Amino acid sequence: MNDYKSIGKRVMRRDAREKVLGEAKFTCDVYLPGMLHAKVLRSTLPHARIKSIDTTKAEALPGVRAVLTYKNTIDTLYNQAAALMEIAEGQTLVMDQKIFDNVVRFVGDEVAAVAADTVEIAEAAIKLIDVEYEPLPFYIDPLDAEKQDTVNIHADKLHLQSAHNVPGDPSHIKKGDIEKGFAESDEIVEVKFKIAPVKQMQMETHSAVASLEDDRITVYCSTQNVQVVRGQLAHIFKIPMSRITVKNPPYVGGGFGIRIGLSGKAEVIAIALALAAKKPVKYIYSRKEDLIASETRHGGYVSVRLGAKKDGTLTALEMKSILNKGAYTSHGGAIHGTLGVMNTSLYRIPNIDYYGYSVYTNTTPAGAMRGYGNPQGNMTVNRAVDMMAKRLGIDPLEMRRKNATGKGDEYMLPYPCTSSTLAGCMELGAKEIHWDKRAEYNLEKGRVRRGMGMGIGTHFSGGHPFVLDYENAFITVQADGSVSVATAASDIGTGCNTSLAQIAAEALNVPLKKVYLTYADTSSTPYGYGSHSSRSVFMHGNAIVEAAKNVKAQILEYAASLAGIESSDLEIVDGIIRTIDSSRRFPKNIYARRIFLDQEFTPLGDEEFYSSITFTELAHYAHSQEKQFMGLGSINNTNAPPWYCSFADVSVDMDTGRITLNNFVGVHDVGTVINPDCVEGQINGGNLQGIGYALGEALTYDERTGIQYVNEIQQYMQPTIMGTPDMGAYYVEEKEPNGPFGAKGLGETPCISPVAAIVNAVCNALDIDDDDIKVPLTPQVVLDMIKKNS
Amino acid sequence: MSLKKISFFLNGEAKDVYANPGDMLVDVIRDKLGLLGTKVGCKTGGCGACTVMLDGLAVNSCMIPVGKVAGKSVVTIEGVAENNELHPIQEAMMEDGAVQCGYCTPGIIVSAKALFDENPNPDSEDIHRALEGNICRCTGYIKVEEAIVKAASNIRKEG
Ligand code: FES
Ligand code: FES
Repeated sequence: MNDYKSIGKRVMRRDAREKVLGEAKFTCDVYLPGMLHAKVLRSTLPHARIKSIDTTKAEALPGVRAVLTYKNTIDTLYNQAAALMEIAEGQTLVMDQKIFDNVVRFVGDEVAAVAADTVEIAEAAIKLIDVEYEPLPFYIDPLDAEKQDTVNIHADKLHLQSAHNVPGDPSHIKKGDIEKGFAESDEIVEVKFKIAPVKQMQMETHSAVASLEDDRITVYCSTQNVQVVRGQLAHIFKIPMSRITVKNPPYVGGGFGIRIGLSGKAEVIAIALALAAKKPVKYIYSRKEDLIASETRHGGYVSVRLGAKKDGTLTALEMKSILNKGAYTSHGGAIHGTLGVMNTSLYRIPNIDYYGYSVYTNTTPAGAMRGYGNPQGNMTVNRAVDMMAKRLGIDPLEMRRKNATGKGDEYMLPYPCTSSTLAGCMELGAKEIHWDKRAEYNLEKGRVRRGMGMGIGTHFSGGHPFVLDYENAFITVQADGSVSVATAASDIGTGCNTSLAQIAAEALNVPLKKVYLTYADTSSTPYGYGSHSSRSVFMHGNAIVEAAKNVKAQILEYAASLAGIESSDLEIVDGIIRTIDSSRRFPKNIYARRIFLDQEFTPLGDEEFYSSITFTELAHYAHSQEKQFMGLGSINNTNAPPWYCSFADVSVDMDTGRITLNNFVGVHDVGTVINPDCVEGQINGGNLQGIGYALGEALTYDERTGIQYVNEIQQYMQPTIMGTPDMGAYYVEEKEPNGPFGAKGLGETPCISPVAAIVNAVCNALDIDDDDIKVPLTPQVVLDMIKKNS
Repeated sequence: MSLKKISFFLNGEAKDVYANPGDMLVDVIRDKLGLLGTKVGCKTGGCGACTVMLDGLAVNSCMIPVGKVAGKSVVTIEGVAENNELHPIQEAMMEDGAVQCGYCTPGIIVSAKALFDENPNPDSEDIHRALEGNICRCTGYIKVEEAIVKAASNIRKEG
């Protein structure tokens, strides 16, 4: 597709060697001299006021260096999501959390923290803290919590609620005239989904190590965006941003949205304890803490009403969502906003009405997870489209060929549809899954029924204009001609530390091995938003391209001045600056000092002038003249829609309700592929997360006590290698005009439409039009579906 | 808590540690012996991030009291590459893009090595059984399995 030198190549990830050797450093691997260990006391009740709390016994335990509760801890209100640094002026910023509060709002809410010489002492001390609670009424289901006669879970922050127990603003998206749209339709289908909350289940739990040096705070942590955390910490601890350093060490064991902003309370508790004990403090969440007290994907209710004409033309889409926010707002309205705007944009529909909001409950706070609200709407709308297709006797693939949004179409997203290969993706996916066998499979009427389903979707490549989203990068050419690129990305496993270097190498036209990336460290990178919203390659990459243009112009201008020509007479090829017409212009004296002997040099002869000069030679000559090339790149005000589709081939056992995934195919429009291995890895991993979401993953609560049933990894149904079906990862490339070398977002998209494809496949296998669907499709749920529809 | 002297072989070297016999092996390896490649994902035996080889068998080191390894041989991720040469599974994981966040990677490599040591010719069911206890949330296991298949074939060629 192109003649790029670095882009599109299966370049080995730069961190691969360290990682296979066990040398890669994560936050848990940071050990500082004199470091203390933290443990946290968590609430055992879902909603209660703390009547009294006594820490004297804990404080008296030898080896305990600090004990903190709401009584002696800074009480700034904040929001642990990136919101604080992302919400534009004029939008509602909900800050409803404190490090510790005198009210606990879910089982697992933080009550106290201890720093001690060892983990064992900290654990023992936690058990010595006496807390007396006054229990308050609690709610597990948003449909209960939103009723007017319930207790308000944040009664002291009513000004931040748009309705009873509804933090922030609802989303309302409208287009055309919805009633007219239904009046014009020949058929109307309706479907409701009840969707369980699920976990990111990143393998590294939230972690932080905080230390105080001179008048600075330094914190190593597992966040997905170091610069955002720095802003949050400045707000919470009332310390200037310039005095805080936040870094990944540099590796992060997965993210999937769970730490867009603070890593739960890991950073704030480690810092508060370090300030109190005047020693470095390490705090690592246990897996139980991760499961009960770190953010989840939103569960809740989504319903759709869809109208179409006999020929399949869609006329009206009405959608509603009520999501379970859990105890604190975190990402708040952005989640139900994304749910609505993405899924009213998939299909060309003239009349649209979406209304969505999230309700506080006394469950684990729901925050961001890969897909950010999109999957919950995606499964619902795609299900309705399949029901409509069946009603009209149209093949679901054909229905989508006819109605899917395409390049240049108007849709509800606030950035134009500048590229899409969705049509090609659907054809490729249909071929790979053998869609033509669907009708034949449907003929099987025995105990095991077979069917196929699909789903399509779109997303974003960054936060603009939903939230603030801009990005910066520096490029410095060192005195030996090697290239340092600095940008505040985090590599949470996506491989952006490699793909961003590929982008820099391509943009400067230097060999990849000359480029080094500095990232995930606030002290050496400019401000930026890090790795979330499928933005790392798109936004950091765009900023790097801009910085490369800037530094390239400096290099060419300087070289031109030495050669006595115009910079337009020069080009850079493979790290060599040369005259386009091959004329000999560079005087011999500038090649004189050769000290970086492992770098590239121009072969010199007797001539006085030469037609080219290497990066090393030019940078070193500039250095000898007291000059360095430094480029700055900034980007804002841009976004682009990735597109994708999923196909599932399933068998359903009518007696047991067990679903077997015979084959699964994901096809993605990511614009230009920067690194095929990274792209395929993202698609495979995302697909399996989506499959787990469809088939078994769920967090559940004891309704009488508010206690989470799932508090060990063994109780959570994430797929293992045993449960992994045949999966295919494919892409159809086309350059996105706004992307770096044509790339757009991918990080989240692979886990968005698998549930839609699987639910559609199961309904196809069972030949039913269930209008009340529960996700995940556990065997019991499937048996209920069979019974209800027979 | 009384500390006992416990002796075992770690990556081929004799080691003495002073520990409470009930301390979990993973904590001793990481905190006392300073080998940080072995990771903790759950401490309940449910994720495989802490996998090490104990007398040749892959085990979760978060479930093994260090007292139980006295006199035995423990191999961690740091002991998989021998004489500065990567094990074929390490090569294959690197080359095939089977490493993403890398948090599960040491555990997966140790499980795979234990498999190869016992059965250099594993079929897909053997691979699935050997890796069942290793949770990876990034890769969907696809490239991991490809890497294991490739490593097995390289081992057979060399052997
Ligand atoms: S940490 Fe040992 S199995 Fe998870
Ligand atoms: S590579 Fe991230 S968990 Fe396996």
